[in-house]
Amino acid sequence: MAHETQASAAPIADVPLSPSFGWGWTIALLLSGILVVLLAYALIMLLLVGTGLWGTNIPFVWGFDLINYAWWIGIANGATLVASILVLRKHDLRTAVNRFAEAVSLFGVICAGIFPIFHLGKPWLFYWVFPLPYTFEVWPQFRSSLTWDFWAISTHAIMTAMLWYTGLIPDLATLRDRAATHRCRKVFGFFALGWRGSARHWAYHQTAYRIIAILMLPLILVMQSVVSLEHAVMLPPGWHQSSQPLYYIASGLAQGIAAVLLIAVLLRRLLGLERYIDDGDVQLMAKLVASSGLIIAYVYTSWILLSLLSSDAVRAATVARLNGTYAAFFWSSLVLMALVPQLLWIPRIRNSFWGTVLVALAAIVGVWLDRFSIMIGGLEKRYLPWGYDLYWPTTPEWFLLAGTAGLFTGQLLLFARYLPVVSMYETRHDEHLVEGR
Amino acid sequence: MMNNRDTEFWAKVNARLAGENGPQLWRSLEELAGTPEAQRLMEAEFPDLARPDLVDRRTLLRVMAASLALAGCNPSHPPLYSRPEGVPGHLRGRSIYFATTLELGGYGRGVVVDTHDGRPIRIDGNPLHPASLGAMDVFGQAEILSLYDPDRSRSPLENGLERDWETVKLFLASVRADLLGSRGRGVHILSEPLTSPTTIMLAEAVRTAYPEVAWHEYSPILDDYERVGAAMAFGRPVETVLDLTRADVVLSLGANLFLETPGHIRYAADFTARKRQGWETGGRPRLYVAETSPSITGASATERIILHPSEFEPFARAVLAHLTGQIRAEASHPAVAAVALALQAGSRGLVAVGRSQTPVVHAIAHAINAALGAPGQTLRYIDPISPWQKPRVESLIELTEAIAAGSVSHLLILGGNPAYDAPAGLNFGDMIRRVPLSFHLSTHFDETSVACRWHLPRRHPLESWGDLRAFDGTVGLRQPTTMPLVDALTPDELLGALATGTVPDGRELVRSYWRTRWADGFEDRWLKVLETGVVPGTASEPLDLRLREDWDPGPTPTPNPAGVTVTFTADPSVWDGRFANNGWLQELPRPLTKIVWGNAALIAPVTAEALGFEAGDIAELRAGELTLRAPVWPHPGQAPGTVTLQLGYGRWAAGRVGNLVGFNAYSLRPAQQPWAVDGVQIASTGEKQRLISTQNHHWIDGNEIIRTTSERDLAVTREAADLPSLYPEYPYVSYAWAMAIDLDACIGCNACVIACQSENNIPVIGPDEAARGRIMHWLRVDRYYSGEPSDPETYFQPVPCMHCEKAPCEVVCPVNATVHSSEGLNDMVYNRCIGTRTCSNNCPYKVRRFNWFDYSGGELNTVTAQANPEVTIRPRGVMEKCTYCVQRISSARIEARLENRLIRDGEVETACQSACPTRAIIFGDSNDPTTLVSRLRESPRNYALLGELNTQPRTTYLARVESSGSPVSPRPVNVEGE
Repeated sequence: MAHETQASAAPIADVPLSPSFGWGWTIALLLSGILVVLLAYALIMLLLVGTGLWGTNIPFVWGFDLINYAWWIGIANGATLVASILVLRKHDLRTAVNRFAEAVSLFGVICAGIFPIFHLGKPWLFYWVFPLPYTFEVWPQFRSSLTWDFWAISTHAIMTAMLWYTGLIPDLATLRDRAATHRCRKVFGFFALGWRGSARHWAYHQTAYRIIAILMLPLILVMQSVVSLEHAVMLPPGWHQSSQPLYYIASGLAQGIAAVLLIAVLLRRLLGLERYIDDGDVQLMAKLVASSGLIIAYVYTSWILLSLLSSDAVRAATVARLNGTYAAFFWSSLVLMALVPQLLWIPRIRNSFWGTVLVALAAIVGVWLDRFSIMIGGLEKRYLPWGYDLYWPTTPEWFLLAGTAGLFTGQLLLFARYLPVVSMYETRHDEHLVEGR
Repeated sequence: MMNNRDTEFWAKVNARLAGENGPQLWRSLEELAGTPEAQRLMEAEFPDLARPDLVDRRTLLRVMAASLALAGCNPSHPPLYSRPEGVPGHLRGRSIYFATTLELGGYGRGVVVDTHDGRPIRIDGNPLHPASLGAMDVFGQAEILSLYDPDRSRSPLENGLERDWETVKLFLASVRADLLGSRGRGVHILSEPLTSPTTIMLAEAVRTAYPEVAWHEYSPILDDYERVGAAMAFGRPVETVLDLTRADVVLSLGANLFLETPGHIRYAADFTARKRQGWETGGRPRLYVAETSPSITGASATERIILHPSEFEPFARAVLAHLTGQIRAEASHPAVAAVALALQAGSRGLVAVGRSQTPVVHAIAHAINAALGAPGQTLRYIDPISPWQKPRVESLIELTEAIAAGSVSHLLILGGNPAYDAPAGLNFGDMIRRVPLSFHLSTHFDETSVACRWHLPRRHPLESWGDLRAFDGTVGLRQPTTMPLVDALTPDELLGALATGTVPDGRELVRSYWRTRWADGFEDRWLKVLETGVVPGTASEPLDLRLREDWDPGPTPTPNPAGVTVTFTADPSVWDGRFANNGWLQELPRPLTKIVWGNAALIAPVTAEALGFEAGDIAELRAGELTLRAPVWPHPGQAPGTVTLQLGYGRWAAGRVGNLVGFNAYSLRPAQQPWAVDGVQIASTGEKQRLISTQNHHWIDGNEIIRTTSERDLAVTREAADLPSLYPEYPYVSYAWAMAIDLDACIGCNACVIACQSENNIPVIGPDEAARGRIMHWLRVDRYYSGEPSDPETYFQPVPCMHCEKAPCEVVCPVNATVHSSEGLNDMVYNRCIGTRTCSNNCPYKVRRFNWFDYSGGELNTVTAQANPEVTIRPRGVMEKCTYCVQRISSARIEARLENRLIRDGEVETACQSACPTRAIIFGDSNDPTTLVSRLRESPRNYALLGELNTQPRTTYLARVESSGSPVSPRPVNVEGE
């Protein structure tokens, strides 16, 4: 296997294999650790005291629980979409961003997965949505969008994990081969599944990887659609629209690409991987973010126009969302996820570290505000006016948001520390191609 | 078989319990188990129970059983003591019903109390009682919660220190000995209005024993003006009993007929019956309501006339002038002509006057009624139910003056809470403290108890014997429905003890009075009355009265001081403050404002705007030396330039529920003007307070949610009958339950809401949770306005679960926790629910309620003894909602199956239905075309709420019928001074 140990992959492999990682990393991990503790606190209190800790009520029965869920799923889906398309198209970019796009996707799913369980009144009974043959022979209600959601998110988690892991196998083998200690070798060796790098291995690996990637494509659309169906199939006039899946796909895609862009830029700067994630990669992703902003702008304009032409109830609900108590959420989300990304068309901003970071952050925050606007603002106007209090989040809900952000960051930090963030074999492959010419 | 040891044991128990002195009572099973005697006996008999580390559920049940057994050993109070004699055997788990009588403002309302295994759990109206006819108001129904109030006082207190009854008795005996010598000089007794024949007899006995005792009566809901007005007109106080079934035109001058009058339940029923009769005979009754602050009676009126308090007299005079043909030239209210015309045209009319109207208005009304020929036709005059003669507020002033003069040595306060609810200027609480020896008999250690030297616990009406007269004079019997939960006395027993020197048995007191009335067949009649709750033939005879020639003192000059006029009303939830510690009532949205947990200064929207007030702004009201800070609530339909305050809040010794809720309006109430104060200065304090209202001001436009029809054409527009649906129809082989709610009959009184809460163990959640939009009522009464905020039309719409045929909630629950039953109900399976709350999102009616916390186990719901054993107590994290009282359907089904028949129409009454005074709610089987509900669903007025969604609700509404009449606009009143 000596031929595999090319010098070019060394910086990537050095990262997970080096004994120390600098104080910056430690502090960052510590901070995310604190946030994870907050999350744990919020969840334990939730289990002990009850869902009433949140600002939810009748009719606003869902708050940050489902807002965050929809948001994290959006990040996961957008990132997966990027990763899959890159695998399938054998795009140059995939070398650079594939691995952590997959990681972002997986960690996003993990963060999202907390909410469907803990948003329940009785979280310890979450498994009742599984189609298990209980002795009392009650099956889940297959007409419920929440049941669909269960299938969608579990499929999504499995598929994302498979995509990520399959891509990781050859690199795990590299790590195994370079590991300094016996224990390290054992661990990486176990997960490398006996990879020897034979031509046959490579052939099977590529087939499997691409099959999974191609399966991911429809799955992502289904997944985003299913999340949106939690609104679309419901009766509230602000939710009940057959075009809801489109909004979710458009904004989720933008959010995912923005997340991948953000993390790519950060990793590149912090781990010194400029050579592997080059300016071209960043520029391409930045343009993708800006383009999806345009799509969002189009989709939302059409929604507003169509809603205003719709039935009285729908029109009233739309007007309430655009001009009611929560109007600020809608308009700021539209600005942040559709207009601000347009700045990336300007090369100077696209090329600057802070420019890309801030715009990507804006797009991500914008989508969160959009989820708030749909979940809460979409309910402000209902068929009957009854319902006397509005929804405003409480501290435990903010803990949930901050906590999952900490969990996400923490996972990313650990990933960056212990696994190769950029595909080594792809990098080598690219270099071979260059040499071959 | 009993062995020797058993016999010995029970004998010992009996001996010990019989040997106890004083009223032998137990408060709760747990407490009885905890008394030293019982404890010791139990340890001897059940040694393993005494070990505290072994208390598991099973043990607890055994302790309870043992306690019951011990309770049963008390020979002088057998456990079935309170069972009505003549009712056959007691079956465990089956309800026993007791007919008894509850009091409001001194007047009796007959109720039937549902008891389960010795625990009263529910109160319904007594169909045989004239003031109830089977329905019950919110106050009567909520008494069941007051009975179990954990804040009730449990022992006598002297200066706040616990004393046992033996000490009290010895002390009282010594006091009594002194007083007998002095013939009662210096003794003053202050009671609430007495209408009970037995109590009046005992009061006489006390007066005989102590000839110089001075008696006072006071109640903050004063009817002094009514008495003085009657004296003006007839030379004697009389009470007026209306017969609304016979009236074609009714003019109410500030009378809240359906909520505040002594006969309010009956009046609501009668008026609606007359309306229904109008369908057949043609011509519905016209109800004109002149009022300052909107009331539910005004909301049901054909025409609401908004009057400033000072305008009532000119208005009444103008109507009288029109009727007697002496139309005066001066400008009168624009509505006068229409009202007078209606009264004249209707052969049968009447005028009713509220207790807050001045005596002159009462006198004028008597004159109008005389001109209409109303007495004997649509109303009758009777002797006052309470024989008390002089104005009660004067009586209280006399007492205050006597205390100030130092001539009061002993003050006995029988019930009531004058230290809290006396007019502010009297400083009555401080006055009580000046009396050397004062006693207060009260269910709670309240504001007055704190001021008195002695507090004596009083029995709750549901633990007491007694009798009470209703608004029409009919006597209702009061009997205990439970073993007393607290070691306490009734006022009757205390008076009896004062008169005779020994504490008499309450039952014997009542029997001794009726023995004097029923010469022969006493026992038979007694049993009969115990069973029916009503003493037949006791309704007061109508009086034939002639109007005095000189009844009219001439027009009162209209004062026009700067500032606003403040009026006071009894609160629709806590009345005069006596229900302040009742969680159900505090959390009951007030009929019009929908405010919970507090009161507000109601002010016309235009006045609020002129003064720069918004809802919740705290205003300072200043009347002479009295000041009050109160949050303002702009109230559509309020007379401009007036502020209406509800009494009964701001208590500080009410208990854990009622303490410091709202502001105390009594602190602005002068003794001389108890109902309306002119010239009050109102100023903003710049502070704000959150008022919790469960409904924002909803204005309806269009005709969708609330539909109305006209008298001529009853048909409402309806959706196409068969909108397409993806789902197949359900087959119904037996019943298909349905409900129809008549919006034309609904008066918005909330009786159904409390009925539902009581029947279905709906928890109280407290002000903080209520403020967060989490109110738990399964049935709510939505209130809508239309028209101008200055003079709106008001509509009520009770909204229970619709039990949709195509229920949107059912299809979205991932775990199938809400499902369609074979009889069409939308069932909620609590133990299947995992709390996704999706069903609530998909419910367009928003009738689903979620247990955000463990409400049922929370601190406001400690009384599990009251809970209906037929209904599950819901744990935290599950959804709940109206079940159509499925437990009642089930028991009716069992009953019917046993008799091998189908459930009859009307056999199942939901709780809301049975409480409704106007029978606005009808429930039954829609699968049988002959049932009432099926016929109502065929009515042209029938419509489905949000029918366009094709949810096919099983609860449908009958449109309200609008009577045509010319609009009457309010007269502009200038708000000066600010």
